[in-house]
Amino acid sequence: MRFLVVLIMAAMLVAAVFAADSYAARQLLRADPDALPADAVLLRFAVRRGRPLFETRCAVCHGATGTGDSAKGVPDLTDNDWLYGSGRVTEIEKVIDYGIRSRNPKAWNLAIMPAYARPQPSPGDKNIQPLSPSEIDDVIEFLMRQQGRPADAAAVARGAALFTGHGGCYDCHSIDAKGDSAIGAPNLSDAITLYGDGSRAALYMSIAYGRQGVCPAWINRASAASIRELALYVYSISHPGAIQNGY
Amino acid sequence: MAAGVLIGLILAGYSLFTARSASTLIVPAEDVALVNQQPVSRADYLALLQTLYGVDLSHATQEQRRKVLDDMIREELFVQRGKELDVASTDPDVRSALVNAVELEIAENAITSQPSEAALRQFFETHPDRYVSEGVMQVRDLVFPAAALGELPHEPAALKRAIGDAGMLAHLNGRDSGKTKGEEFYFAAKIHLGDELFAAARGLANGEVSQPIPLSDGIHVLDMEQNRHPVPFSFAAARAQVLSDYRNQAVDKLKLSGESFLRKRANVLIADDLR
Repeated sequence: MRFLVVLIMAAMLVAAVFAADSYAARQLLRADPDALPADAVLLRFAVRRGRPLFETRCAVCHGATGTGDSAKGVPDLTDNDWLYGSGRVTEIEKVIDYGIRSRNPKAWNLAIMPAYARPQPSPGDKNIQPLSPSEIDDVIEFLMRQQGRPADAAAVARGAALFTGHGGCYDCHSIDAKGDSAIGAPNLSDAITLYGDGSRAALYMSIAYGRQGVCPAWINRASAASIRELALYVYSISHPGAIQNGY
Repeated sequence: MAAGVLIGLILAGYSLFTARSASTLIVPAEDVALVNQQPVSRADYLALLQTLYGVDLSHATQEQRRKVLDDMIREELFVQRGKELDVASTDPDVRSALVNAVELEIAENAITSQPSEAALRQFFETHPDRYVSEGVMQVRDLVFPAAALGELPHEPAALKRAIGDAGMLAHLNGRDSGKTKGEEFYFAAKIHLGDELFAAARGLANGEVSQPIPLSDGIHVLDMEQNRHPVPFSFAAARAQVLSDYRNQAVDKLKLSGESFLRKRANVLIADDLR
Protein backbone atom coordinates (compact mmCIF):
# COMPACT_ATOMS: atom_id res chain seq x y z
CA MET A 1 0.00 0.00 0.00
CA ARG A 2 2.78 2.36 0.98
CA PHE A 3 4.62 1.48 -2.22
CA LEU A 4 1.53 2.36 -4.24
CA VAL A 5 1.26 5.77 -2.57
CA VAL A 6 4.92 6.51 -3.28
CA LEU A 7 4.44 5.42 -6.87
CA ILE A 8 1.41 7.64 -7.33
CA MET A 9 3.21 10.62 -5.77
CA ALA A 10 6.25 10.06 -7.99
CA ALA A 11 4.01 9.87 -11.04
CA MET A 12 2.27 13.08 -9.99
CA LEU A 13 5.63 14.78 -9.53
CA VAL A 14 6.79 13.73 -12.99
CA ALA A 15 3.48 14.88 -14.45
CA ALA A 16 3.82 18.24 -12.68
CA VAL A 17 7.35 18.74 -14.00
CA PHE A 18 6.22 17.75 -17.49
CA ALA A 19 3.23 20.10 -17.29
CA ALA A 20 5.41 22.97 -16.10
CA ASP A 21 7.88 22.40 -18.92
CA SER A 22 5.08 22.12 -21.42
CA TYR A 23 3.53 25.35 -20.12
CA ALA A 24 6.87 27.15 -20.33
CA ALA A 25 7.40 25.85 -23.89
CA ARG A 26 4.00 27.22 -24.90
CA GLN A 27 4.76 30.54 -23.26
CA LEU A 28 8.04 30.63 -25.09
CA LEU A 29 6.34 30.12 -28.43
CA ARG A 30 3.55 32.61 -27.87
CA ALA A 31 5.80 35.42 -26.65
CA ASP A 32 7.29 38.06 -28.92
CA PRO A 33 10.74 36.53 -29.63
CA ASP A 34 12.48 39.88 -29.39
CA ALA A 35 10.96 40.54 -25.97
CA LEU A 36 12.13 37.21 -24.54
CA PRO A 37 15.67 38.25 -23.52
CA ALA A 38 14.05 40.54 -20.96
CA ASP A 39 12.13 37.65 -19.42
CA ALA A 40 14.62 36.05 -17.03
CA VAL A 41 12.55 32.95 -16.30
CA LEU A 42 11.80 32.06 -19.89
CA LEU A 43 15.33 32.93 -21.03
CA ARG A 44 16.81 30.62 -18.41
CA PHE A 45 14.37 27.88 -19.41
CA ALA A 46 15.19 28.28 -23.12
CA VAL A 47 18.96 28.50 -22.71
CA ARG A 48 18.98 25.35 -20.57
CA ARG A 49 17.12 23.43 -23.27
CA GLY A 50 18.82 25.15 -26.20
CA ARG A 51 22.36 24.25 -25.22
CA PRO A 52 22.07 20.46 -25.89
CA LEU A 53 20.26 21.23 -29.14
CA PHE A 54 23.15 23.46 -30.18
CA GLU A 55 25.62 20.75 -29.27
CA THR A 56 23.84 18.13 -31.38
CA ARG A 57 22.86 20.25 -34.38
CA CYS A 58 25.12 23.28 -34.68
CA ALA A 59 28.40 22.45 -32.96
CA VAL A 60 29.53 20.22 -35.83
CA CYS A 61 30.21 23.41 -37.82
CA HIS A 62 30.17 26.28 -35.30
CA GLY A 63 32.12 24.41 -32.63
CA ALA A 64 31.01 23.50 -29.12
CA THR A 65 31.43 27.07 -27.91
CA GLY A 66 29.96 28.65 -31.04
CA THR A 67 33.13 30.49 -31.94
CA GLY A 68 33.11 29.16 -35.52
CA ASP A 69 36.13 28.51 -37.68
CA SER A 70 37.42 31.10 -40.10
CA ALA A 71 39.52 28.43 -41.85
CA LYS A 72 36.24 26.87 -42.95
CA GLY A 73 34.26 30.10 -43.30
CA VAL A 74 32.03 29.30 -40.34
CA PRO A 75 31.04 32.49 -38.51
CA ASP A 76 31.71 33.15 -34.84
CA LEU A 77 28.34 33.32 -33.09
CA THR A 78 29.76 34.76 -29.89
CA ASP A 79 31.16 38.07 -31.16
CA ASN A 80 27.85 39.88 -31.72
CA ASP A 81 28.96 40.72 -35.29
CA TRP A 82 26.09 39.62 -37.49
CA LEU A 83 26.31 38.64 -41.11
CA TYR A 84 22.52 38.48 -41.39
CA GLY A 85 20.47 40.99 -39.45
CA SER A 86 21.51 42.65 -36.23
CA GLY A 87 21.35 39.79 -33.75
CA ARG A 88 17.69 40.04 -32.79
CA VAL A 89 16.12 36.76 -31.69
CA THR A 90 13.66 36.89 -34.61
CA GLU A 91 16.53 37.19 -37.07
CA ILE A 92 18.53 34.37 -35.48
CA GLU A 93 15.42 32.22 -35.52
CA LYS A 94 14.82 32.95 -39.18
CA VAL A 95 18.31 31.70 -40.06
CA ILE A 96 17.72 28.52 -38.02
CA ASP A 97 14.28 28.02 -39.54
CA TYR A 98 15.14 28.47 -43.19
CA GLY A 99 18.93 28.43 -43.35
CA ILE A 100 21.34 30.14 -45.71
CA ARG A 101 21.44 28.88 -49.30
CA SER A 102 19.82 25.76 -47.89
CA ARG A 103 17.55 25.28 -50.93
CA ASN A 104 14.59 26.07 -48.71
CA PRO A 105 12.41 28.54 -50.65
CA LYS A 106 12.51 30.98 -47.73
CA ALA A 107 16.25 30.69 -47.10
CA TRP A 108 18.60 33.68 -47.21
CA ASN A 109 19.87 33.44 -50.75
CA LEU A 110 20.43 36.94 -52.06
CA ALA A 111 24.18 37.33 -52.14
CA ILE A 112 26.82 34.96 -53.50
CA MET A 113 30.43 36.09 -53.66
CA PRO A 114 31.46 35.83 -57.34
CA ALA A 115 34.65 34.06 -58.39
CA TYR A 116 36.41 36.87 -60.26
CA ALA A 117 39.20 34.62 -61.53
CA ARG A 118 36.75 32.41 -63.39
CA PRO A 119 35.37 32.99 -66.89
CA GLN A 120 31.85 33.35 -65.48
CA PRO A 121 32.22 34.77 -61.98
CA SER A 122 28.58 34.45 -61.00
CA PRO A 123 26.42 31.86 -62.77
CA GLY A 124 23.32 33.71 -61.59
CA ASP A 125 24.37 37.14 -62.86
CA LYS A 126 25.92 37.31 -66.30
CA ASN A 127 26.57 41.05 -65.92
CA ILE A 128 29.41 40.40 -63.51
CA GLN A 129 32.65 40.26 -65.50
CA PRO A 130 35.96 38.68 -64.43
CA LEU A 131 38.78 40.85 -63.11
CA SER A 132 42.42 40.56 -64.14
CA PRO A 133 45.03 39.44 -61.57
CA SER A 134 46.32 42.99 -61.15
CA GLU A 135 42.78 44.31 -60.73
CA ILE A 136 42.19 41.81 -57.93
CA ASP A 137 45.42 42.99 -56.31
CA ASP A 138 44.21 46.59 -56.55
CA VAL A 139 40.89 45.74 -54.88
CA ILE A 140 42.83 44.03 -52.09
CA GLU A 141 44.91 47.16 -51.55
CA PHE A 142 41.71 49.21 -51.36
CA LEU A 143 40.32 46.85 -48.71
CA MET A 144 43.58 47.03 -46.76
CA ARG A 145 43.25 50.80 -46.67
CA GLN A 146 39.59 50.55 -45.62
CA GLN A 147 40.74 48.44 -42.67
CA GLY A 148 43.34 51.03 -41.73
CA ARG A 149 46.26 48.84 -42.75
CA PRO A 150 49.27 49.89 -44.85
CA ALA A 151 48.54 49.82 -48.58
CA ASP A 152 49.99 51.04 -51.86
CA ALA A 153 48.39 54.44 -52.54
CA ALA A 154 48.19 54.16 -56.35
CA ALA A 155 46.73 50.66 -56.12
CA VAL A 156 44.22 51.88 -53.50
CA ALA A 157 42.94 54.51 -55.94
CA ARG A 158 42.63 51.97 -58.75
CA GLY A 159 41.03 49.47 -56.37
CA ALA A 160 38.49 52.03 -55.17
CA ALA A 161 37.48 52.71 -58.76
CA LEU A 162 37.06 48.98 -59.37
CA PHE A 163 35.19 48.45 -56.11
CA THR A 164 32.66 51.13 -56.93
CA GLY A 165 32.81 50.58 -60.68
CA HIS A 166 32.89 47.62 -62.99
CA GLY A 167 33.96 45.17 -60.28
CA GLY A 168 30.46 45.66 -58.90
CA CYS A 169 31.63 44.98 -55.31
CA TYR A 170 29.68 47.99 -53.97
CA ASP A 171 26.46 46.37 -55.06
CA CYS A 172 26.56 43.98 -52.10
CA HIS A 173 29.28 45.34 -49.81
CA SER A 174 28.12 49.00 -50.23
CA ILE A 175 30.24 51.93 -51.36
CA ASP A 176 32.21 52.18 -48.10
CA ALA A 177 32.81 48.39 -47.93
CA LYS A 178 30.89 48.21 -44.66
CA GLY A 179 28.68 45.43 -46.01
CA ASP A 180 24.95 44.94 -45.85
CA SER A 181 23.47 42.65 -43.24
CA ALA A 182 20.13 42.73 -45.04
CA ILE A 183 21.61 40.39 -47.65
CA GLY A 184 24.45 38.77 -45.72
CA ALA A 185 27.26 40.76 -47.35
CA PRO A 186 30.07 41.01 -44.79
CA ASN A 187 31.66 44.23 -43.60
CA LEU A 188 35.06 44.34 -45.31
CA SER A 189 36.33 47.39 -43.44
CA ASP A 190 36.64 45.83 -39.98
CA ALA A 191 39.03 43.34 -38.45
CA ILE A 192 36.51 40.49 -38.38
CA THR A 193 37.02 38.03 -41.20
CA LEU A 194 34.65 35.31 -42.22
CA TYR A 195 37.18 33.40 -44.33
CA GLY A 196 40.86 33.11 -43.50
CA ASP A 197 43.12 35.34 -41.48
CA GLY A 198 42.51 38.64 -43.27
CA SER A 199 45.82 38.44 -45.11
CA ARG A 200 46.23 39.48 -48.73
CA ALA A 201 46.45 35.81 -49.70
CA ALA A 202 43.17 35.00 -47.95
CA LEU A 203 41.44 37.98 -49.56
CA TYR A 204 42.79 36.88 -52.93
CA MET A 205 41.25 33.43 -52.47
CA SER A 206 37.85 34.94 -51.66
CA ILE A 207 37.86 37.41 -54.54
CA ALA A 208 39.40 35.09 -57.11
CA TYR A 209 37.48 31.91 -56.36
CA GLY A 210 34.28 33.10 -54.66
CA ARG A 211 32.41 32.11 -51.52
CA GLN A 212 28.98 30.74 -50.79
CA GLY A 213 28.62 29.32 -47.31
CA VAL A 214 25.62 27.21 -46.41
CA CYS A 215 23.60 26.79 -43.23
CA PRO A 216 20.89 24.12 -43.28
CA ALA A 217 17.20 24.81 -42.64
CA TRP A 218 15.77 23.19 -39.54
CA ILE A 219 12.12 24.11 -39.88
CA ASN A 220 11.06 20.66 -41.04
CA ARG A 221 13.50 18.82 -38.81
CA ALA A 222 12.99 20.37 -35.40
CA SER A 223 9.93 21.50 -33.46
CA ALA A 224 9.05 25.18 -33.30
CA ALA A 225 9.85 25.11 -29.58
CA SER A 226 13.30 23.61 -30.18
CA ILE A 227 14.09 26.25 -32.77
CA ARG A 228 13.00 29.05 -30.43
CA GLU A 229 15.16 27.55 -27.66
CA LEU A 230 18.09 27.26 -30.03
CA ALA A 231 17.64 30.86 -31.16
CA LEU A 232 17.64 32.06 -27.56
CA TYR A 233 20.70 29.99 -26.77
CA VAL A 234 22.57 31.54 -29.71
CA TYR A 235 21.36 34.96 -28.57
CA SER A 236 22.64 34.23 -25.08
CA ILE A 237 26.15 33.28 -26.19
CA SER A 238 26.43 36.43 -28.27
CA HIS A 239 25.03 38.69 -25.56
CA PRO A 240 26.81 37.77 -22.31
CA GLY A 241 25.18 40.73 -20.59
CA ALA A 242 21.75 39.43 -21.40
CA ILE A 243 22.70 36.05 -19.94
CA GLN A 244 23.73 37.65 -16.67
CA ASN A 245 20.48 39.56 -16.56
CA GLY A 246 18.58 36.43 -17.44
CA TYR A 247 20.13 34.25 -14.79
CA MET B 1 -25.39 -5.96 -17.80
CA ALA B 2 -27.00 -6.68 -21.15
CA ALA B 3 -28.25 -3.10 -21.38
CA GLY B 4 -24.68 -1.87 -20.81
CA VAL B 5 -23.33 -4.05 -23.58
CA LEU B 6 -26.11 -2.90 -25.90
CA ILE B 7 -25.41 0.79 -25.19
CA GLY B 8 -21.72 0.15 -25.75
CA LEU B 9 -22.37 -1.52 -29.07
CA ILE B 10 -24.68 1.29 -30.20
CA LEU B 11 -22.08 3.95 -29.30
CA ALA B 12 -19.33 2.00 -31.05
CA GLY B 13 -21.46 1.57 -34.17
CA TYR B 14 -22.40 5.26 -34.22
CA SER B 15 -18.75 6.26 -33.84
CA LEU B 16 -17.69 3.85 -36.55
CA PHE B 17 -20.12 5.14 -39.15
CA THR B 18 -19.96 8.83 -38.33
CA ALA B 19 -16.21 9.05 -37.68
CA ARG B 20 -14.49 12.22 -38.95
CA SER B 21 -10.81 13.02 -39.04
CA ALA B 22 -9.37 14.14 -35.76
CA SER B 23 -9.93 17.82 -35.21
CA THR B 24 -8.99 20.18 -32.47
CA LEU B 25 -10.33 23.43 -31.10
CA ILE B 26 -6.97 24.42 -29.66
CA VAL B 27 -4.50 26.36 -31.77
CA PRO B 28 -1.00 24.95 -31.16
CA ALA B 29 1.44 27.38 -29.60
CA GLU B 30 3.62 27.46 -32.73
CA ASP B 31 0.70 28.60 -34.88
CA VAL B 32 -1.48 31.68 -34.99
CA ALA B 33 -4.55 30.06 -36.51
CA LEU B 34 -6.01 26.83 -37.81
CA VAL B 35 -7.93 27.11 -41.05
CA ASN B 36 -9.94 23.93 -41.59
CA GLN B 37 -7.37 22.34 -39.27
CA GLN B 38 -4.48 23.56 -41.42
CA PRO B 39 -1.97 25.51 -39.31
CA VAL B 40 -0.95 29.08 -40.08
CA SER B 41 2.60 29.33 -38.76
CA ARG B 42 3.53 31.86 -36.09
CA ALA B 43 7.03 32.18 -37.58
CA ASP B 44 5.50 33.14 -40.93
CA TYR B 45 3.16 35.56 -39.18
CA LEU B 46 6.06 37.31 -37.45
CA ALA B 47 8.07 37.39 -40.68
CA LEU B 48 5.14 38.94 -42.55
CA LEU B 49 4.62 41.57 -39.84
CA GLN B 50 8.27 42.49 -40.19
CA THR B 51 8.18 42.50 -43.99
CA LEU B 52 4.98 44.52 -44.35
CA TYR B 53 5.32 46.97 -41.47
CA GLY B 54 8.90 46.64 -40.25
CA VAL B 55 7.74 45.91 -36.71
CA ASP B 56 8.03 43.03 -34.28
CA LEU B 57 5.05 41.63 -32.44
CA SER B 58 5.41 43.91 -29.42
CA HIS B 59 5.38 47.03 -31.54
CA ALA B 60 2.70 46.05 -34.03
CA THR B 61 -0.66 47.77 -33.68
CA GLN B 62 -3.85 45.78 -33.34
CA GLU B 63 -4.79 46.83 -36.86
CA GLN B 64 -1.47 45.62 -38.29
CA ARG B 65 -1.76 42.31 -36.47
CA ARG B 66 -5.33 41.83 -37.66
CA LYS B 67 -4.47 42.73 -41.25
CA VAL B 68 -1.56 40.30 -41.42
CA LEU B 69 -3.55 37.49 -39.84
CA ASP B 70 -6.48 38.15 -42.13
CA ASP B 71 -4.22 38.09 -45.19
CA MET B 72 -2.68 34.79 -44.11
CA ILE B 73 -6.07 33.21 -43.45
CA ARG B 74 -7.27 34.42 -46.85
CA GLU B 75 -4.21 32.91 -48.50
CA GLU B 76 -4.74 29.58 -46.74
CA LEU B 77 -8.40 29.52 -47.79
CA PHE B 78 -7.46 30.14 -51.40
CA VAL B 79 -4.72 27.52 -51.30
CA GLN B 80 -7.22 25.01 -49.96
CA ARG B 81 -9.73 25.97 -52.62
CA GLY B 82 -6.99 25.64 -55.21
CA LYS B 83 -6.37 22.09 -54.07
CA GLU B 84 -10.10 21.34 -54.28
CA LEU B 85 -10.19 22.72 -57.82
CA ASP B 86 -6.97 20.85 -58.62
CA VAL B 87 -5.47 23.94 -60.24
CA ALA B 88 -2.16 22.10 -60.54
CA SER B 89 -3.65 20.05 -63.35
CA THR B 90 -4.41 23.11 -65.45
CA ASP B 91 -2.19 26.01 -64.41
CA PRO B 92 1.38 25.72 -65.77
CA ASP B 93 2.72 28.18 -63.18
CA VAL B 94 1.35 26.09 -60.32
CA ARG B 95 2.73 22.92 -61.90
CA SER B 96 6.14 24.47 -62.34
CA ALA B 97 6.10 25.82 -58.77
CA LEU B 98 5.19 22.37 -57.46
CA VAL B 99 7.97 20.67 -59.42
CA ASN B 100 10.41 23.29 -58.18
CA ALA B 101 9.23 22.95 -54.58
CA VAL B 102 9.59 19.17 -54.61
CA GLU B 103 13.09 19.43 -56.09
CA LEU B 104 14.05 21.97 -53.45
CA GLU B 105 12.65 19.77 -50.72
CA ILE B 106 14.81 16.89 -51.94
CA ALA B 107 17.85 19.17 -52.12
CA GLU B 108 17.23 20.47 -48.61
CA ASN B 109 17.76 16.99 -47.22
CA ALA B 110 21.17 16.79 -48.83
CA ILE B 111 22.15 20.19 -47.49
CA THR B 112 21.24 19.30 -43.90
CA SER B 113 23.52 16.29 -43.64
CA GLN B 114 27.06 17.32 -42.78
CA PRO B 115 29.68 15.16 -44.52
CA SER B 116 32.66 13.93 -42.55
CA GLU B 117 36.10 15.41 -43.15
CA ALA B 118 37.20 12.01 -44.50
CA ALA B 119 34.39 12.06 -47.07
CA LEU B 120 35.33 15.60 -48.11
CA ARG B 121 38.98 14.71 -48.41
CA GLN B 122 38.14 11.68 -50.52
CA PHE B 123 35.98 13.85 -52.80
CA PHE B 124 38.85 16.34 -53.06
CA GLU B 125 41.30 13.61 -53.98
CA THR B 126 39.05 12.08 -56.61
CA HIS B 127 38.44 15.41 -58.37
CA PRO B 128 41.92 16.97 -58.48
CA ASP B 129 41.20 18.87 -61.70
CA ARG B 130 38.55 21.00 -59.99
CA TYR B 131 40.75 22.38 -57.27
CA VAL B 132 43.51 24.26 -59.02
CA SER B 133 44.26 27.95 -59.27
CA GLU B 134 43.62 29.77 -62.53
CA GLY B 135 46.83 30.11 -64.53
CA VAL B 136 48.20 33.59 -65.20
CA MET B 137 50.30 34.79 -68.15
CA GLN B 138 51.78 38.02 -69.39
CA VAL B 139 52.61 37.60 -73.05
CA ARG B 140 53.35 39.85 -76.03
CA ASP B 141 51.88 38.78 -79.33
CA LEU B 142 53.93 40.16 -82.22
CA VAL B 143 52.57 39.90 -85.73
CA PHE B 144 54.53 40.12 -88.99
CA PRO B 145 53.45 40.11 -92.62
CA ALA B 146 53.55 36.67 -94.25
CA ALA B 147 56.48 37.80 -96.39
CA ALA B 148 58.64 38.16 -93.26
CA LEU B 149 58.61 34.42 -92.58
CA GLY B 150 61.82 33.86 -94.48
CA GLU B 151 63.62 36.68 -92.68
CA LEU B 152 62.60 35.74 -89.13
CA PRO B 153 65.30 33.80 -87.32
CA HIS B 154 64.22 30.30 -86.35
CA GLU B 155 66.80 29.84 -83.63
CA PRO B 156 65.06 30.87 -80.33
CA ALA B 157 67.84 33.10 -78.93
CA ALA B 158 68.23 34.93 -82.25
CA LEU B 159 64.45 35.35 -82.56
CA LYS B 160 64.30 36.74 -79.02
CA ARG B 161 67.00 39.26 -79.87
CA ALA B 162 65.28 40.21 -83.11
CA ILE B 163 61.91 40.98 -81.57
CA GLY B 164 63.60 42.90 -78.77
CA ASP B 165 65.31 45.19 -81.25
CA ALA B 166 62.99 48.06 -82.26
CA GLY B 167 64.95 48.67 -85.45
CA MET B 168 64.73 45.05 -86.53
CA LEU B 169 61.05 44.97 -85.64
CA ALA B 170 60.41 47.98 -87.84
CA HIS B 171 62.50 46.49 -90.62
CA LEU B 172 60.36 43.33 -90.58
CA ASN B 173 57.12 45.39 -90.33
CA GLY B 174 56.41 43.67 -87.04
CA ARG B 175 54.01 45.11 -84.44
CA ASP B 176 52.37 44.20 -81.19
CA SER B 177 48.91 42.84 -82.04
CA GLY B 178 47.52 44.46 -78.86
CA LYS B 179 45.45 41.37 -78.16
CA THR B 180 46.76 40.97 -74.63
CA LYS B 181 47.16 43.57 -71.90
CA GLY B 182 49.38 42.93 -68.91
CA GLU B 183 48.80 39.89 -66.70
CA GLU B 184 45.82 37.84 -67.73
CA PHE B 185 44.16 34.72 -66.42
CA TYR B 186 44.45 31.80 -68.81
CA PHE B 187 40.79 31.92 -69.79
CA ALA B 188 41.09 35.60 -70.71
CA ALA B 189 44.34 35.05 -72.65
CA LYS B 190 42.66 32.19 -74.52
CA ILE B 191 39.77 34.44 -75.52
CA HIS B 192 42.13 37.25 -76.59
CA LEU B 193 44.74 35.14 -78.42
CA GLY B 194 42.50 32.44 -79.86
CA ASP B 195 42.88 28.70 -79.34
CA GLU B 196 45.94 28.13 -81.49
CA LEU B 197 48.09 30.96 -80.13
CA PHE B 198 46.99 30.22 -76.56
CA ALA B 199 47.98 26.58 -76.91
CA ALA B 200 51.43 27.69 -78.06
CA ALA B 201 51.71 30.33 -75.33
CA ARG B 202 50.70 27.97 -72.55
CA GLY B 203 53.77 25.81 -73.07
CA LEU B 204 56.26 28.70 -72.99
CA ALA B 205 58.45 29.31 -69.98
CA ASN B 206 59.22 32.75 -68.59
CA GLY B 207 61.33 34.74 -71.08
CA GLU B 208 60.85 32.19 -73.86
CA VAL B 209 59.63 33.02 -77.39
CA SER B 210 57.56 30.81 -79.63
CA GLN B 211 58.50 29.62 -83.08
CA PRO B 212 56.88 31.79 -85.79
CA ILE B 213 53.24 30.71 -86.09
CA PRO B 214 51.65 31.34 -89.50
CA LEU B 215 47.98 32.35 -89.24
CA SER B 216 45.60 33.97 -91.71
CA ASP B 217 46.44 37.50 -90.50
CA GLY B 218 50.22 37.06 -90.59
CA ILE B 219 53.10 35.41 -88.77
CA HIS B 220 52.80 35.49 -84.97
CA VAL B 221 55.62 35.32 -82.46
CA LEU B 222 54.75 35.05 -78.80
CA ASP B 223 57.09 36.56 -76.25
CA MET B 224 56.33 35.16 -72.81
CA GLU B 225 57.19 37.55 -70.02
CA GLN B 226 55.59 35.54 -67.22
CA ASN B 227 53.72 32.26 -67.18
CA ARG B 228 52.32 30.94 -63.90
CA HIS B 229 50.73 27.56 -64.49
CA PRO B 230 47.65 26.44 -62.52
CA VAL B 231 48.67 25.12 -59.11
CA PRO B 232 46.66 22.51 -57.18
CA PHE B 233 45.08 23.91 -54.01
CA SER B 234 45.71 22.27 -50.69
CA PHE B 235 42.67 20.59 -49.13
CA ALA B 236 42.49 23.34 -46.51
CA ALA B 237 42.43 26.07 -49.16
CA ALA B 238 39.84 24.27 -51.27
CA ARG B 239 37.67 22.94 -48.43
CA ALA B 240 34.81 25.43 -48.80
CA GLN B 241 34.56 24.70 -52.52
CA VAL B 242 34.89 20.96 -51.92
CA LEU B 243 32.01 21.09 -49.44
CA SER B 244 29.88 23.03 -51.90
CA ASP B 245 30.65 20.62 -54.75
CA TYR B 246 30.11 17.60 -52.51
CA ARG B 247 26.70 18.89 -51.53
CA ASN B 248 25.76 19.73 -55.10
CA GLN B 249 26.65 16.20 -56.13
CA ALA B 250 24.61 14.82 -53.24
CA VAL B 251 21.68 17.00 -54.32
CA ASP B 252 21.90 15.69 -57.89
CA LYS B 253 22.05 12.10 -56.66
CA LEU B 254 19.06 12.60 -54.35
CA LYS B 255 17.06 14.22 -57.13
CA LEU B 256 17.74 11.26 -59.39
CA SER B 257 16.87 8.70 -56.74
CA GLY B 258 13.75 10.71 -55.81
CA GLU B 259 12.61 10.67 -59.41
CA SER B 260 13.42 7.00 -59.71
CA PHE B 261 11.34 6.25 -56.60
CA LEU B 262 8.39 8.26 -57.96
CA ARG B 263 8.58 6.43 -61.28
CA LYS B 264 8.78 3.05 -59.55
CA ARG B 265 5.69 3.55 -57.45
CA ALA B 266 3.70 5.23 -60.23
CA ASN B 267 1.31 3.53 -62.57
CA VAL B 268 2.19 5.16 -65.88
CA LEU B 269 0.28 4.11 -68.99
CA ILE B 270 1.58 5.29 -72.32
CA ALA B 271 -0.52 5.58 -75.45
CA ASP B 272 0.01 2.81 -77.99
CA ASP B 273 1.39 5.14 -80.67
CA LEU B 274 4.03 6.53 -78.33
CA ARG B 275 5.33 3.30 -76.89
